[in-house]
Amino acid sequence: MRPLPLAIAAVVVVLLVFVPWLASDVMMQFAIDALLLAVLAQAWNILGGFTGYVSFGNSVFYGLGTYGAAIAMAQFHLPFWVGILLGIVLAVLCALLIGIPILRLRGPYFAIATLGLAAAMGAIVSNLPIAGSNIGLVLPLIRADTMFYELSLGLLVLCTLTVLWVSKSRFGMGLVAIREDEDAAGTMGINTTVFKIVALVLSALFTAVAGSIHAYWISFIDPASAFDPTLNVRMVIMAVFGGPGTVFGPLVGSFILSAIYEYLASSISTAAALLFGIVIVLAVIFMPRGLANMIGGVRARGPRYFLQNIRENRL
Amino acid sequence: MSAPGENAAGATTRIPILQAEGITKRFSGLVSVNRVSFEMYENEILGLIGPNGAGKTTLVNMISGTLKPSDGELRFEGQPIDALPPYQRAHLGICRTFQVMKPFPGMSVLENVTVGALFGRGGEKVMAKARRSAREWIDFTGLSHRVDARADSLGGPDRKRLEFAKALAMEPKLLLLDEVMAGLNAVEVEEVIELIKKMRERGVTILVIEHVIKAIRSLSDRVLVLHHGEKIAEGDPAAVLEDPRVVEAYLGRRRQ
Repeated sequence: MRPLPLAIAAVVVVLLVFVPWLASDVMMQFAIDALLLAVLAQAWNILGGFTGYVSFGNSVFYGLGTYGAAIAMAQFHLPFWVGILLGIVLAVLCALLIGIPILRLRGPYFAIATLGLAAAMGAIVSNLPIAGSNIGLVLPLIRADTMFYELSLGLLVLCTLTVLWVSKSRFGMGLVAIREDEDAAGTMGINTTVFKIVALVLSALFTAVAGSIHAYWISFIDPASAFDPTLNVRMVIMAVFGGPGTVFGPLVGSFILSAIYEYLASSISTAAALLFGIVIVLAVIFMPRGLANMIGGVRARGPRYFLQNIRENRL
Repeated sequence: MSAPGENAAGATTRIPILQAEGITKRFSGLVSVNRVSFEMYENEILGLIGPNGAGKTTLVNMISGTLKPSDGELRFEGQPIDALPPYQRAHLGICRTFQVMKPFPGMSVLENVTVGALFGRGGEKVMAKARRSAREWIDFTGLSHRVDARADSLGGPDRKRLEFAKALAMEPKLLLLDEVMAGLNAVEVEEVIELIKKMRERGVTILVIEHVIKAIRSLSDRVLVLHHGEKIAEGDPAAVLEDPRVVEAYLGRRRQ
């Protein structure tokens, strides 16, 4: 990557650090939500964008992070960081356990198998007394939006730096090779099983921490909200909208979509979901390869870029 | 260690790099490759020919590890390799091209070849070094003018060059070329023949599957013929191509 985008990103991060001293309470709610969603999209990007494995199971890792924090804090009165660690351990164990059988599946079969996971995990947790069964858990109440904001921002920076490393490293080259042609990748000397599992574990780790932060911030969790499959759909949409397999695409994509949704929800609450759906449909038609691809394409070919996408999709 | 075929010209003194013994592949009742045994010697070019459906690609798949033999044993440099997955065979130096070219479509030419340098036998850990050696192989195969092009934007001959550059960047000891000349015109075939000769000069042992008999003639030290999954002839190219059984396999029985 050229130094300019990195310099811009560094400046933006520094400016973002100071947001809590300027923003209203409502703005802070939105900002924390947007940052955590961006983490989810970016973490999904490691597996879905770089490795080409479209996962609908990342909400499982999010839920486990949520419950890790909640169980540690509500049931055992342990500090927050222990909760985060517990969430990470649960999510990574789960990633290893399900990754080995499930990563053998390709394409739509992988997506379908992961889709089942969130539902299954929600059902399991609903029957565990330690996790508050189907009632849920209440975490110690704390009003510290600034802390949650800075934590979320820090996590997003960490996650993005990881993705940046992936994009430049030998490991990342292996992941992209798997995405492009897994059989060829294998015969070229890539241990595809290990690469895929490491990608899944990285993805699970960041997703879980986002879940832990969200749990403590919201301070109440139940199985339905922790293992919400629509959350996973949002991760996919945001990452794909921004540009899967790029470093900054999922970030920009998730911020823009969060902002659009927030604006629609506050101005015309009833039709917000509908309009949001229209935005997604238009995005898929005009820029199916995401924002990152569009910026390059428009710079090279101008408006013809959009026409070409329409033609390629035979619309 | 079994002796090589009697008519294996001058090969007796060399060391086998690959030994196949009684290799068999059955697909639910259908025998695709039937008890095929052969050896390849260091730095030789072995031509593998046979009519369509003879089992040539299946044999290559078993050597590269994408298919497991139903029976028989494969040894590479004296070590059995039957239990190794494809990526470990690549690390040993077994490298293949595909009949249907398999470049990584969304990657640039340079990135494609870099993958070979990063994960092949050389296994370069440093990205910058891997890129540098990838560039050298791209020059070697004459693809320097397309270094930054996306692999899926390349035309036929350039795709073959890319496939060669990827394979070479892996620093193979044994290279399995599966119909790399299919679809090329006479001039391009000539270029690829030269490229294969250049690879051999660098010490690579090469198995060439080809229907272009001219190429087989000018490249191969020995030729092995498969028909209905069985080895029907092996040895000196000129002699094998005149063998009545080989002619019959390709053209059918001559009327009396």
